[in-house]
Amino acid sequence: MVFDEAFDVIVIGGGHAGCEAASAAGRLGAQTALITLNLDLIGQMSCNPAIGGIAKGHLVREIDALGGIMGRVADRTGIQFRLLNRSRGPAVQSPRAQTDRSLYRAEMRKVLEHTPNLDLRQGMVTDLLVKDSKIRGVEMQDGRRIAAGAVVIAAGTFLNGLIHTGQRTYTAGRAGEPASIELAETLKRLGFPVGRLKTGTPPRLDGRTIDWSAFQPQEADDRPVPFSFSTDSIEQPQLKCYVGYTNRSLHDSIRENLNQSPLYSGRIKGIGPRYCPSIEDKVVKFADKERHQLFLEPEGHNTNEVYLNGFSTSLPAGIQQDLVRMIPGLEEVRIIRPGYAIEYDYVDPRELRPDLQCQRISGLFHAGQVNGTTGYEEAACQGLVAGINAAALVRGMKPFRLSREQSYIGVLIDDLIKQGVDEPYRIFTSRAECRLALRYDNADQRLRRYGRELGLVGDVDWERFNHRQSRIVEVKGLLKGVRLRKADAGYLAAVERTGSDLGESITLADLALRPGVTSEMLKQLLPLPSRERATLSELEAALADNLYAGYIRVQDVVVRRLRHHDTTPIPEGLDFRTLNGLSHEMVERLERTRPQTFGEARAIPGLTAAALSTLYIAATLNP
Amino acid sequence: MDTIVAIATSPGRSAIGVIRLSGPDSLRILRGLIHDELFKPEPNHVVLKQIVRESGEPLDSALVTYFEEPRSFTGEEMIELSCHGSPVILRRVLDLTLTLGARLAEPGEFTLRACKNGKMNLSQAEAIRDLINAQTDAAAAQAARQLKGELAVALQPAKEILIKIIVRLESALEFVEEDLPRIQWQQIENELNQVLGIVEGLGRTFGIGRALRDGLKVAIVGRPNVGKSSLFNKLAGRDRAIVTEIAGTTRDSISESIILRGIPISLTDTAGIRIANDSIEEIGIERTHEAMADADLLVVVIDGSTSLAEEDLRIIAQAIRNRHVVAINKCDLVSNAEIDNRLYPSSTVVHLSALTGLGLDELVAAILTPFGDVDSEAIGLLITDSRHYDLLQRTKLSLETSLELFGRSASEEIVLVGLHSALQYLGQITGETTTDDILGEIFSTFCIGK
Repeated sequence: MVFDEAFDVIVIGGGHAGCEAASAAGRLGAQTALITLNLDLIGQMSCNPAIGGIAKGHLVREIDALGGIMGRVADRTGIQFRLLNRSRGPAVQSPRAQTDRSLYRAEMRKVLEHTPNLDLRQGMVTDLLVKDSKIRGVEMQDGRRIAAGAVVIAAGTFLNGLIHTGQRTYTAGRAGEPASIELAETLKRLGFPVGRLKTGTPPRLDGRTIDWSAFQPQEADDRPVPFSFSTDSIEQPQLKCYVGYTNRSLHDSIRENLNQSPLYSGRIKGIGPRYCPSIEDKVVKFADKERHQLFLEPEGHNTNEVYLNGFSTSLPAGIQQDLVRMIPGLEEVRIIRPGYAIEYDYVDPRELRPDLQCQRISGLFHAGQVNGTTGYEEAACQGLVAGINAAALVRGMKPFRLSREQSYIGVLIDDLIKQGVDEPYRIFTSRAECRLALRYDNADQRLRRYGRELGLVGDVDWERFNHRQSRIVEVKGLLKGVRLRKADAGYLAAVERTGSDLGESITLADLALRPGVTSEMLKQLLPLPSRERATLSELEAALADNLYAGYIRVQDVVVRRLRHHDTTPIPEGLDFRTLNGLSHEMVERLERTRPQTFGEARAIPGLTAAALSTLYIAATLNP
Repeated sequence: MDTIVAIATSPGRSAIGVIRLSGPDSLRILRGLIHDELFKPEPNHVVLKQIVRESGEPLDSALVTYFEEPRSFTGEEMIELSCHGSPVILRRVLDLTLTLGARLAEPGEFTLRACKNGKMNLSQAEAIRDLINAQTDAAAAQAARQLKGELAVALQPAKEILIKIIVRLESALEFVEEDLPRIQWQQIENELNQVLGIVEGLGRTFGIGRALRDGLKVAIVGRPNVGKSSLFNKLAGRDRAIVTEIAGTTRDSISESIILRGIPISLTDTAGIRIANDSIEEIGIERTHEAMADADLLVVVIDGSTSLAEEDLRIIAQAIRNRHVVAINKCDLVSNAEIDNRLYPSSTVVHLSALTGLGLDELVAAILTPFGDVDSEAIGLLITDSRHYDLLQRTKLSLETSLELFGRSASEEIVLVGLHSALQYLGQITGETTTDDILGEIFSTFCIGK
């Protein structure tokens, strides 16, 4: 084959998965090209202008701990930071930020342009060049051929994208951008099992036509919690969001127009996410609900555009404005961009290995919506893992993978490759068995060292991490060692605050478990110089460990019981056909999945207990 | 690595029964069984040890062998206990190891551990693999039976309520910005207590359920000539023991298998306890003491027609540490109210006449009551399997922990730890509930989605 150019790694797509993949591969020393349809739309947030949220914020922290870029970019462009679930324990708290959509794009492009070994290319990839089940490169629409040892597909909703508004449909990757038809056909031709998913987006409003007084403002936090462990402070001025509600008469009107909705006329075949229903779904499936909550979210500092979160719709563009105007405060509103639904192809993620490489074609990686996920954060973390492993492959290093016990990223990838998806997959904290141990506050403690070993975490960040850890250890010691005594200055205030008897004296660790005790209050009780030295965030990390210590042990026992054989590896070259007593069907299932550990074998649907026993013995006898 | 335990010999009565422990806690568990924290056994040597109940009473004497890691069948630290071969005793010892932290082994798990630790070569392993397969198939079949079995059906309501509670708490955590109904803490607490009630109720049937499966050992004891053998014959329904006016007629313990209200019972008549007159009687009395130690319940017979003797009081004092019923015999002759006043208040007392059969029904009820609700036959469902009992107890413990945390207004994610483990334990009886099931339940209950 003749090639016009050659790289180590090619990343197809400049969305959240593609950006992380390209950045990681380049920084790991692989000559990398990011190919995207429009360089001006790198890092585009195609849905709501926000990063993070419960469990998603955990993912961003983990990406950052490993040396990814999403957290830093979000910190520089976030215009409303909130730590969600503040009233609950730290394990289920998570940072979230509204971001300035155009600033985010600009910042992301700047970061990529400063990434070593990374070239940006505009164009459309139409074909994958494969020889002997190995990826060789890609072919572009304009005929150029680019060689690569590894290719990451991060094409988002562009694969066979089809937009619906009312009864109208047109092919597109996002509103105003062309779909990737040929690449989708290539994947089918290569034999990948391809399915169809659907997602939707609400209309964007002209902020000048909104009566803001009709909505309840929602303020940013006084003390913004950044995503990145490298961020000292949030510099962007903070804005408000606004909360409003739909009403009965609007619901009636939506129901009257259902015959025009492609969702209800059967035109949309793809499966949409249950946790992100369109407004049509909401009024039909929860018909007795008086009102549905809506959020008005600013799109940025330099625009009037407002995102109407909670009103995702595929009703005809023409009637969306009439419907939206039935919401109190939006009587005069004008829609700038109508909402729409989009159907797209995804590839069954059970095709992948834990390093996100396809079993079918070596050197080909899939990340993001192509794997059936939804969400920027879900996409970004897969991009990071795929980018790391693409670079690892071409540089002859061993694959990088994370377990369910140590990260949400591990939970997500494990769920994808074992269970597959039947609706767009989103991360939730309840998907993690070890929820109390996988916290936003300790993502660095869990993962920073991997980032360092890989080479994605620089000296400054590494030193910063070590300092933070040593201060957390120091504070933990003080919490256990320092007692608040009756004679001490803070004692009476503490009794008042907790409303309980504290006895002659109490350790700060025990005091922390009493209701009503805040981290600010505890910080004042720490002795100098630790009081001055440790940050509130470090104290909170120490407190979280203190709070959950006993429960994490209970959780560990449950997890161990579930998987006491799961880490036993299955030898790479084991020929399942040579095992006595395995039926043809069992062999086929095993060969399709090629489990690497006994735990993965256990998760194969339809594998019998007898087959597992046979496999277990074979695995333990041929290490 | 867990420490696993199993009865290694086949079920049923036999001369000896072997219980095996394998894993890092084996020695610690043995020390707990014999109430000797300092016990340092020599590897591969057999010693005789008393296995002691939690209450401190002796349960059985067993030959104990300790195998040091890695020089054992599994390659781990192992203990083998050769107990007396009564299923009741073996079950008791097994239950004790469970409370001390062991886990019931799954079929073939000892062999798997042996393979894993390189204690077996390929041909050996292949030879026993067929065996393991068979066992696992049986286990799978059993799981299938359980899935549609009565126990699963009985637990289904508890499981459904539990899932409902989890769904509400999880939604509150995951969808904090959604317009969800407020959590009704009081209602959730009531529902949790309801779940606990179902689980506890089933757990309580374990005593009678186990008795139904393994049988009970009941020994009739007392000083000579109080009518033990007459009572024995009456309960046995035939003249099995020789009855005379002469004190000390029964020289040796004799046993008879009978059935009382559907419960199989091994009934033992013993020699009367007194200072022995000859060596034969001495041996007989010694056997009486053995029978007493082995019994699940003692019937202490007292002659109601005479006043209480020192011997009677000594025997009752001995019996008081065990399950027991005091049977005041010869109530057809004369009743001596003074006797009742001198007995322990904790003793169950029955007045009867072994001669006429008067009061016999009351005695039978008193014998069975300590093992659970005898009328539970009416309920129809009994826990007979100690694995199920173990799981129900663990479920109960997890629920109680969560309830206690509720009381302390702990945050949802902490309360949920216990609820999820409870659901997992129940799931081992009724079938697993996955995260996806719970998420699905959330999305169909609440309108979620910004």
